[in-house]
Amino acid sequence: MSNPTLHLPWPILGLILGLLVVCLWLAVVSVRKMADALERQPDGMLPLIGCDAPARSPLHSWDPRFKLVAILIFAFLVVSLKQPVMVVAALAVAIIILAFTRLPWSRSLRRIMAMNGFLAMFLIVMPLTSVVQPGDSLIVFGTFESWPLNLRGMKLALIIIGKAWTVALMMEPLLATAPLGATLEGLSRIGIPQRVSELLLIAHRYIHVFFGELQRMRSGMEARAFKSDHRLDTLKDYGNFVGMLLVRSFERTHRVYDAMQARGYAGRMPGHFQFRGQASDWLKALLLAAIGIGLLLADRLTGGGA
Amino acid sequence: MHISDGVMPTSLALGSGAISLALTAWSSRMTRGDDLPKVAVVAAAFFVAALVHVPLGPTSVHLLLPGLVGALLGPSAFLAIVLGLVLQSLMFQFGGLTALGGNALLMGLPALACGLIFQVFKGEGVKRQMIVGGSCGGLGIIGSAIILALLLFLSGEDFLGVAKLALAAHLPVVFIEALIAAFIIRFLCKVKPEMLTAPFTLKRNKL
Repeated sequence: MSNPTLHLPWPILGLILGLLVVCLWLAVVSVRKMADALERQPDGMLPLIGCDAPARSPLHSWDPRFKLVAILIFAFLVVSLKQPVMVVAALAVAIIILAFTRLPWSRSLRRIMAMNGFLAMFLIVMPLTSVVQPGDSLIVFGTFESWPLNLRGMKLALIIIGKAWTVALMMEPLLATAPLGATLEGLSRIGIPQRVSELLLIAHRYIHVFFGELQRMRSGMEARAFKSDHRLDTLKDYGNFVGMLLVRSFERTHRVYDAMQARGYAGRMPGHFQFRGQASDWLKALLLAAIGIGLLLADRLTGGGA
Repeated sequence: MHISDGVMPTSLALGSGAISLALTAWSSRMTRGDDLPKVAVVAAAFFVAALVHVPLGPTSVHLLLPGLVGALLGPSAFLAIVLGLVLQSLMFQFGGLTALGGNALLMGLPALACGLIFQVFKGEGVKRQMIVGGSCGGLGIIGSAIILALLLFLSGEDFLGVAKLALAAHLPVVFIEALIAAFIIRFLCKVKPEMLTAPFTLKRNKL
C-alpha cells in the first residue's frame, strides 16, 4: 500500500469512541427534545413562509421571477463544486447575501440545525466506509489495520456539509423577501404549471390549520391520560390519532371546496402582483449567476475536475 | 430519510428532477380538475401527520406514511407528495432544494406502487383491509429505503457505506410504520370507509 498512513495508539481510539458516544447521545436527546417542543408549541408556531414587509434591501425589490431563476442556478452551480476552498467561498457568498437582506439570523440557523442530524451521520460514516484509493491519507489505530479512518472520506463529508449549508442559507433570501403569493406566481411565470403553484398556496394555508387541529387533539389525548411509551396500545392510539386527523381534514376539504366554489373559484386565485423586469433585476440575476459560474470555473481550473 | 443538497452529483440531481417533473405532470393530469384543491388539502394533512413523532427505543421517529398516501389518493399521490416535499423544504429545509427531484422519487414511487397494491388486494372486511394496509405501510418504507440506497450508490462508490447504514436504519421503522398504517386503516374502515374505496369518488353531502 502506497497510502501515507498515520499510526496512533489505542487510547486515542478509545477517546474518540467515547466522544462519538457522547455526541450520539446528545443527538438522540436533542431529537427527542425537538420533537417534544414541536408538539407542545403554542398554536400557529410552524414557520410561515414569505413576508409582506416593505422593501428593505436589494433582495426585497428584486423581481421574484429573476430571484427564483438566479438562486436556482446558483444552487445547482454550488452543488457541482468539488474543492473545499471553493465550497467555503460559496458559503461566504451566501452569508454575505444573507447579511444584505437584513433578515433575522434565527430562521436560517433553524434551517441549518434541521439538517445537521443527517449531515453528522455523513461525517461519522464516510471516513470509515470510503473506498481506499491510492494516495489517500489513512489513520490506523493500534492493530485495527482493516478499519482505517480515511481522511478523503472526511473531506467529502465536509464538502457535502458546506454545500448543504450554502443552499440552506440561500433559502431565506429567496423566500422571506417577498410575499409567498408573489414568489409562487413568479414560479408559474417561469414555466412551472399554474396548477402546482396554486396548490402550494392552498396547502401552505391548510398546514397551519391542521397543525392547530393536531395540537388540540394532542392535548385532548393528554387530558385523558395518554402517555407515549412502547406498548402496542400506544401505537394503536397513534393510529387512531392520525386516522382522526385524516378524517377531519377530508371532511374539511369538502367544506373548503364548496366555500371556494361559492366564491367563484375557477381553478386559480386572482393574482394581484405586478412583475416589472427592470434592468436592475437583470443585473442582480447576472451578478449572482456570474459569481456561481466564476466559482465553478475556479474550482475546475485548479484541478477539481480530477 | 431525505437526501440533502450536495450529496448527489449534479447530473443525477438534474436527471431525477426531470423524471419527477414528468411524473408530477402525469399525476396532475390523472387528477380531475375539480379534485385539485382537495389534493392540496390532503397533502397538507399528510404533511402535518408527518410531524407526529412515535417513540422508538431511546429516540423517536416521525411518520412518513408513503404507503398510506398511495392507498388514499391513488395516482394523485405523487402530486400530493411533491407538494408536501416542496413545502417541507421551504419551511424546514428537510430535503433541500437541488435534491427535491431525488426525494420526490424516493417517496413518490413507493406511494404509487402501494396505492396500486392496496386497490388490487384490499378485498372486503376490516381485518383484510387492515392486513393489506399494514403491508402497504411497511412496503412503502422498504421501497423508499431501497430507492434511497440506490440514489446514494449512484452518487459514487464512497457512499456505499452510508447506503448500507441507511438501509439498516430503516428496518425498525418498517415495523412501526406497518403497525401504525394497519391501525389507521382499521380506524378509517370503521369511521369513514368511503375514504378507502377509490380516490376522490366521495359523494358530497347534498343539502
